[in-house]
Order: sequence, then structure tokens, then C-alpha cells
Amino acid sequence: MSLSENIAAYLGRLWGEAVEVENLSRIPGGASRETYRFDAKLGSQTKALILRRDPVGSLIDTDRRLEFLAYQSFYDLGIPVPEPVALEMAETELERPFFIMGRIDIGKAASPFTVEAYGDHAAAIGHQFFSYLGQIAKADPKGMPISTVAPAPSLDTCWSVALDYWAGVIEADLLHPQPIVYAAIRKLRRNPPPPAQKLSVVHGDYRTGNFLHDGLGKITAILDWEMAHLGDPLEDLGWALDPLWGHYDPTQVSGMLPRDEALALWQAQSGLEIDQRALDWWSLFNAVKGQAIWTSAAKEFRTGGGTDPVLGFSGWYTARRHDKIIADRLASLEGWK
Amino acid sequence: MTPTTNELLVGNFMAFAVPPPPESMGEFLSGRVSVVGLISLLAAQEAETGVAVRVWENGAIAELLARAGATVPGAADASDLSVAALDAHNAQLRLLLISVHASAELEGNLALDREILSLYQAMADRRMLVLPALPGA
Repeated sequence: MSLSENIAAYLGRLWGEAVEVENLSRIPGGASRETYRFDAKLGSQTKALILRRDPVGSLIDTDRRLEFLAYQSFYDLGIPVPEPVALEMAETELERPFFIMGRIDIGKAASPFTVEAYGDHAAAIGHQFFSYLGQIAKADPKGMPISTVAPAPSLDTCWSVALDYWAGVIEADLLHPQPIVYAAIRKLRRNPPPPAQKLSVVHGDYRTGNFLHDGLGKITAILDWEMAHLGDPLEDLGWALDPLWGHYDPTQVSGMLPRDEALALWQAQSGLEIDQRALDWWSLFNAVKGQAIWTSAAKEFRTGGGTDPVLGFSGWYTARRHDKIIADRLASLEGWK
Repeated sequence: MTPTTNELLVGNFMAFAVPPPPESMGEFLSGRVSVVGLISLLAAQEAETGVAVRVWENGAIAELLARAGATVPGAADASDLSVAALDAHNAQLRLLLISVHASAELEGNLALDREILSLYQAMADRRMLVLPALPGA
């Protein structure tokens, strides 16, 4: 049976009536999930849907249950996310685990490797982008669906849990010695940040390129929650501010807003303070995290037959850019031990 | 180590070696073509400078390690300028550099720490690949 037929059979069993799947088309971008758009027809009704299926080889190992529960957690909470529809962990239906969610057809995602990605709407989009991030930081994870599965670190161990995880990824996937990222990991361990102000849902990959905008200045969907977890809300802020996502414009964070303006929006929406030393720590951490992701991509590309060029590009061009970002940051942190 | 130019260009071929299923023929395929194009563009830079950058980096690390009093491993065959040979020597040198840097930090040797951090910046600078400005809006 084709993928379309398998999806139709699955949804038919799920909904208890005959389903036809039309216009199935894989969407490019990312390598942590295979993403497809399709229409499901039930009688006279048509549902616009997205399938997110585990890939054979991946940029990162992520838990599709956490991603699905993250969508459930924020759906109807004022953050524009698609409606979660079904989660299937068994490999019998579509060969690999997957979930299905509603499709938001209005909007497009920007490539991080373009200049002036948001044109005249950069400020308007930046306002929403950092405001939504502040709202995610402010939300109490207690009682949210994601908290039924995601471990909750104590406030003073958010940093070490995150660092241990990503340092472990580098250790496991490294194919060539990387002195720059190793120096950063040692520096982070010697200079821990203050405890988190609160425990938040951390999106995990909140950045330019992982949301849709309508081309007229409105964000229509916050996507790609595959690395969602509970932790220090400054983690997401540090990732969003990383120069890799700056669209080559050092005067605007995420290619949208001046840094101070972005931080003020986040503070106003989250109700949290920004401790500069803590943000410095989380910024360096995020560059390490990025390097860990690219290290995994390089390993996957080299050991997986080299058939996915996104993995090759990520493990090469982006890895070298993050080496540069880390090296410059290390040189600027003279006051640290 | 990031993938080599050789691996990346073979990968560009492999990306199209197997005909994609019908659902991957449209938008996904054109996205894949774009990434393959970017890799080819950057591979041209790497083909031009990759050997020279590796020779420079190995020399710079060896020089710093010697000044720091370390016993520096030589290349298995100094006349072999293949990427594989240079990378093998680079791995030895980088491992020793990691060890020397960690010791300098523990001993509070700020001068050596600064020197190594400056070297890291130079290494990262030289290995950078430059994407042309791709319009976005």
C-alpha cells in the first residue's frame, strides 16, 4: 500500500468512517521529522492536515510524544499552534511513529540563511516573536499535558541537566576532536548560572525559520516543538538570540529587532528579569547545543550513506559558523574563570 | 570533523540516485535541489582553500604546542597533502591541544589560555565558508 492509502486506513479506523487522502506532498526543511501536507476527505468534509513521521536518519533524536503534547499544551492558550489530532507510537501503521495535526495554510517560513527575510515587516514580526516567547516563558507548566511526560528539573539544576545532555550528544557523536566546543563546555561547567527564576516549557528550537508568517506582518503558527522540555526560560531566549539566526545582520536579533527591544518585549510578557550573567551563560550554552546538533548531523550524514543533503549542509556549514560564534564568545568572556 | 568535500559531493549524487516516491516529487524535491546547489557552491570554496587551511591549522597548533612545552606529534608522511592525511594529523594535534588547554585552565595560566583562545578564533575564521547574500523577503 502507498503512504496515502496507509494514512487513509489509519484515519478511517481512528474516526470510524471511510477516509480518502488527497494531495499528499512532502514538505522540505528540517531533518528531525518527515513532514507531509495532505487533505483528508470524510464524506463532504475536507480536513487540511499535516503528518509528522520519524525519519530513518535524523538531525537530532527527539521524542514525538513530547512534541505532540507541547502542541496540546499551547493549543487554545493564545499561542498560534496547529490543532493536535492524533499520536501513534506503534510502527505498524506507517512504518515509524508519527503524529497528525491540523494544517495552517496561511503563511510561510523564512530560511535562516537569507538576508532581510522579513522585509518591511521585520519589526512587527519581531514584536510578536519575542512576545509569544515571553508568554511561553510565563505559562505555568503544572497541569499542562507536556508535564505528564517531561521530567521537571529543580530550578538549580536546569543548567546542568541541559548541559549534561548536549555535552553527552557531542561525546557520543563526535568523529573528530573539537577543541573549541570542548573549551566552551569546560567554561560553562566552571561558571554555572544562577538558578532559574521559574520552571517553564522550553520550546527548544524557538528561532527564525520555525514559524509561519503571512507576508503582511503577522505570525500565523509557531512550529517545530520537537525539542520541547521543561527548564529555564532563558534557554529559549538564548537560542533565539544566537547570531546563527540573525540573517547576517548584527544590528537586529533574529533579523527582526534591536536586541534591547527584543529583551524588553520578552521581559514585559514573561514578567521575568534578565540577569546578564545568566543570559551570557545560556547564550554560550546554546552555541554548544547548536554544535551538538550539527555534530549529530555530520555523524548521521557520514554513517548513513550521505543521502540527505540537509544533514551534510548542517554538519558542515552551520557547524563551522557555530565554531566561529563560540570562539568569539569565549574570547569575550575574560571575566569568567 | 565536518563532512569532507568528497563526502558532500558524493552525497549530492546519492541524494538523487534513488527515484523519490510520488509524494516527494514536488516541493520537497525542489527544496532538495536548492540544498544540493548550496553545497556545490560552498564546495567550490572548500576545494580552493581546504588543503591550505588544514596545512596552516596543523602548523599553527604545532607551533603553539611546542611553545607550551608539549611533545608535538609529527605527520605520518609530511609530503602527503591529501585531505585524509592532513585530517589524521589534525586529529592528533587537536587532541593534544584540548589536553594542554584544559591544563592551562586548571593551572590558571592566563597567558596560555588567551593565546589558545586567539588561536581558536583564527582556526574558526579560516574554516568559515561564505554564503552569498540570498534574498529572503
